[in-house]
Amino acid sequence: MTDIEKLTDEELVEKIRSNDYNLYAVIIDRYKNKLLRYAVNIVHDDDRASHIVQDSFIKTYTNLKGFNTNKSFSSWIYRIVHNESINIIKKYYKEVSILDDFDFGSDENIEEDFEKKEVVLKVGKCLKEIPLLYSEPLSLYYIDDKSYQEISDILRIPMGTVAVRINRAKKLMKKTCQKI
Amino acid sequence: MSKDIKNITEDIMNQIEQGKIKMKPKIYFIIGSIITFIGLISALIVSTFLFGLIRFSLRTHGPMGEYKLDQIMSNFPWLTIVFAIVGLILGVWLIRQYDFSYKIKTWFIVVGFVLAVMITGWMIDVTGVNDSLLKRGPMKGMMSNYFNNNNIQPGMGWRK
Repeated sequence: MTDIEKLTDEELVEKIRSNDYNLYAVIIDRYKNKLLRYAVNIVHDDDRASHIVQDSFIKTYTNLKGFNTNKSFSSWIYRIVHNESINIIKKYYKEVSILDDFDFGSDENIEEDFEKKEVVLKVGKCLKEIPLLYSEPLSLYYIDDKSYQEISDILRIPMGTVAVRINRAKKLMKKTCQKI
Repeated sequence: MSKDIKNITEDIMNQIEQGKIKMKPKIYFIIGSIITFIGLISALIVSTFLFGLIRFSLRTHGPMGEYKLDQIMSNFPWLTIVFAIVGLILGVWLIRQYDFSYKIKTWFIVVGFVLAVMITGWMIDVTGVNDSLLKRGPMKGMMSNYFNNNNIQPGMGWRK
């Protein structure tokens, strides 16, 4: 592992802001697949999700000097993708089914674990069936491995509300998944 | 994997190298924060003053000291209320721009802001700052117009 790869996101941001802009490629590589998966879970359309992620990386770069490095960069960039996705939903929202053969490009080798792949696909289908209000915190918690605090920072809602929504989402998922 | 996402790093880095995408300067964010803060304080001051004006107009009465419903209705400062409410909404919206605000429920911020305006308005009224505003300062013209338009003599019904 090179020295650059050992740096935290916030340390990288500091370096990028000091004119070492080539390091922004490291940030993009770290986040592009995670953010694409997150955007797909919101808009259910891989092309739109790709554009959302690209626009979000551009927006992140232009506003990089406004980021407070004492805070989590991850939460900040997820928040930007959330806002972009919500804007797209408001503009074009149509019910578009998630592509079954869509590869999220995760670092994990899910091909080897067929059972897990089945679960992920089923969860993806169930998530699509429940309202975004509940599916978004649920996917952030279980798929993106975010803590309640991070979800609170991304969605800008109190932690208590995050807990309530995840709890309701689980109940809704249970009902929905049994039907699918 | 989507073709778009595979090339995303290259595409964005090319745009950065060609200068098509540039970082906004630090001063842009500093000025933004200052303007938000000034806007918030202005909204608080304007709302407080306007609520003070509403309280004052509700205490004023006719030359013989009568309080009549039709007189209250005709002299009631409806426009002032609209401005006060707009000031409150603007203030709450500006508070919502701050990072800490989402950790607090919206209704709590609204109630907090309204209470802050009302308590400050009441304190200004009790301490007699309104009297000073009436006689001098930037509000003198506005208060004089208000009195003339509503046929009120200064001091009439004013708290002693």
